[in-house]
Amino acid sequence: MPNNQFENNVLAKVKDLKVHFNSKRGVVHAVDGVDFEILNGETLGLVGETGCGKSVTGRSFLRLLPIPPGIIKDGAVNFKANLVCTRCSGKGCSECGKSGHKTEKGEQVDLLKISDTRMREIRGDRIAMIFQDPGKALNPTLTVGAQMAEVFLQHRSLEILDMAGLGQIKNKAILRFANQDVKVFDKILLLLPKARKQKLKVQEAVKIMVSKALSETQVPNPLKLLDRFPHELSGGMRQRVMIAQALACNPDLLIADEPTTALDVTVEARILELIRELQLKRRTSVLYISHDLSLVRRICDRVAVMYAGRIVEIGKAEEIFANPSHPYTRGLMAAVPSNGIPRGSLSAIKGTVPELIDPPDSCRFSGRCPYEVNGCRVNDPKLRKITESHSVACFINDASLSWCAPSFEGERV
Amino acid sequence: MTNPPQSSNITITKDSAFSVKINRFLALLQRLLSNPTTVIGLIIIGLMLSMAIFAPWITTANIPDPYQMPRDWGAVRKPPGEMGYLLGTTNEGGDVFYGIVWGSRTSLQLSIYVVGSTMIIGTIIGSIAGLLGGWVDEVLMRIVDVFLSIPELIFALAIAAVLGPSFTNIIIALSLVIWVKYARIMRAQVLQIKQNDFVDAARIVGDSKFNIYIKDILPNAVTPVTVQATLDMGNVVLIGATLSFIGLSEAGIAEWGVLVSEGQAGIASGRWWASTFPGLMIFLWALAFNLLGDGLRDALDPRLEDR
Repeated sequence: MPNNQFENNVLAKVKDLKVHFNSKRGVVHAVDGVDFEILNGETLGLVGETGCGKSVTGRSFLRLLPIPPGIIKDGAVNFKANLVCTRCSGKGCSECGKSGHKTEKGEQVDLLKISDTRMREIRGDRIAMIFQDPGKALNPTLTVGAQMAEVFLQHRSLEILDMAGLGQIKNKAILRFANQDVKVFDKILLLLPKARKQKLKVQEAVKIMVSKALSETQVPNPLKLLDRFPHELSGGMRQRVMIAQALACNPDLLIADEPTTALDVTVEARILELIRELQLKRRTSVLYISHDLSLVRRICDRVAVMYAGRIVEIGKAEEIFANPSHPYTRGLMAAVPSNGIPRGSLSAIKGTVPELIDPPDSCRFSGRCPYEVNGCRVNDPKLRKITESHSVACFINDASLSWCAPSFEGERV
Repeated sequence: MTNPPQSSNITITKDSAFSVKINRFLALLQRLLSNPTTVIGLIIIGLMLSMAIFAPWITTANIPDPYQMPRDWGAVRKPPGEMGYLLGTTNEGGDVFYGIVWGSRTSLQLSIYVVGSTMIIGTIIGSIAGLLGGWVDEVLMRIVDVFLSIPELIFALAIAAVLGPSFTNIIIALSLVIWVKYARIMRAQVLQIKQNDFVDAARIVGDSKFNIYIKDILPNAVTPVTVQATLDMGNVVLIGATLSFIGLSEAGIAEWGVLVSEGQAGIASGRWWASTFPGLMIFLWALAFNLLGDGLRDALDPRLEDR
């Protein structure tokens, strides 16, 4: 089936994703038929106003949607993980030779349909996520070390045991401890002197791995950080811990849901640099969810603009910023304050994002669109290519229409 | 940053997870002790506990059942201090001092059994309701509502009356009434904590649901339950004494409520001691646990941790 096969450079493919939420007033079409691809090693920016379905799209990669009231109505999120040796996470070890690196492709899976067990294997290992507010994303009752340890214990127990010099160990209790699957009587078994010593060794190995991961995010003195609680850290520091945790297992895809919104500007720049640097080093793809166009312009290779549960424009970043072809994109860009604009003349898009309960069969942007013509209120534009890598869902300048298409003539922007 | 050692030659420094726990506990203790009213509560509780523990040494235990009041028919209605009866005797010749000392044991039993069982049951049921949601939550919470719709004391009284007068039945009655409080608190906590990003973060890491519950939800949810339990340690004795007072306990048992009830007939004729001293004990017991509960609530508040 050549149709279903991925091209080599595609990591994930979202196909006609529809996520609905049941509410008392009707079905909210939060994500309503979204199609896009994420290529290997690229940064894809997902932009839009609040309530456009960006986060829902991002979260559906990890099946983190609240179900119910959410329903995945239709569609697929196909994902093809890179195969990585579980013993050394791709650094090369006795088991995988030197070929542990991300070269081979795993089998293609539909993230929305695989079993929970399989999903747990992928979460944190192949796909990771950074949240908006690092203050809320760390458990206040666990130390940073204990929290970071979880990801290693979950996905890298073989490596940990190797590191602790317990590669051939048969003790089931220790094995379960290194797998974070401690049973009730294991706690008693682990109190025996020999097991206790081995357990401490495992803990020490985990500690080394954690501090290594932390040091990569340029945290000063990572060993000291391990025994601190999240509330003792600053926002930037917490976000670094989150990033370290997210990138700990060398994932293929990192979903960053407005990771710098809660941080101040100087910290923001450093965090972005850090993500970029680690991404290039590890060839990780990033899905960067943001409402900040200037930021997206700086860091993204490709950009997808979302409006009311749909992608309205997608393409290479240069193309989109040089030639924005959807009125919504233009509106967003005009709303970004910049040096050239005289004081007092900041523009905003009229109105707000429409409620997505039973949306009408028209262009979703009609009503707010300055270029709207009559045809826009009865027809629903589909994504069409205007160049090889640039698509837009608007009738604007569409010569193939029998009725009079809107155009950018009489420019306002 | 120096490179950490790559493999096998790992040296064990110390069990840092353990020392972190100890440090946390010490910090909590320090916060508790910095509050004078909490210290007062702790001192009273300490005295009561030592009284309960050393009861056989403080007074000579009544043979064969020390929880039964000894009767000395030759010394009825003696005021405090007379004939070696430190706090006087009741109408039936019971030693008030003996009743108070051994009554602290019965009170302790009552609070520990009732609070312990209801806390566990309530926490489990509340967690299930909060975690699973949907119709399970709906059914469990409607049951809770039924229990809550009847006032605590009246409900406990009704159950105890149906089961028949005995101390064990008071424990059962109180447990049946009180568990709903914990279920409600726990459910509300779980629902609130479930919303937090760190629970999602733990899911993203690939943690199992059970692990997430144990590590992320439970530790963050127990604070209000612990505080409620401490307050209830006092309240339970109060309600228990009320039930005993109206005769739902075995007669003659060394219990503060029973003692108050035995002495109340004499108050009008000036024999105040038989009711006053056990009443005072009930009051002190409830007060002490309320003081400790308030102190705990402040000390366990994570936002105040750095102060």
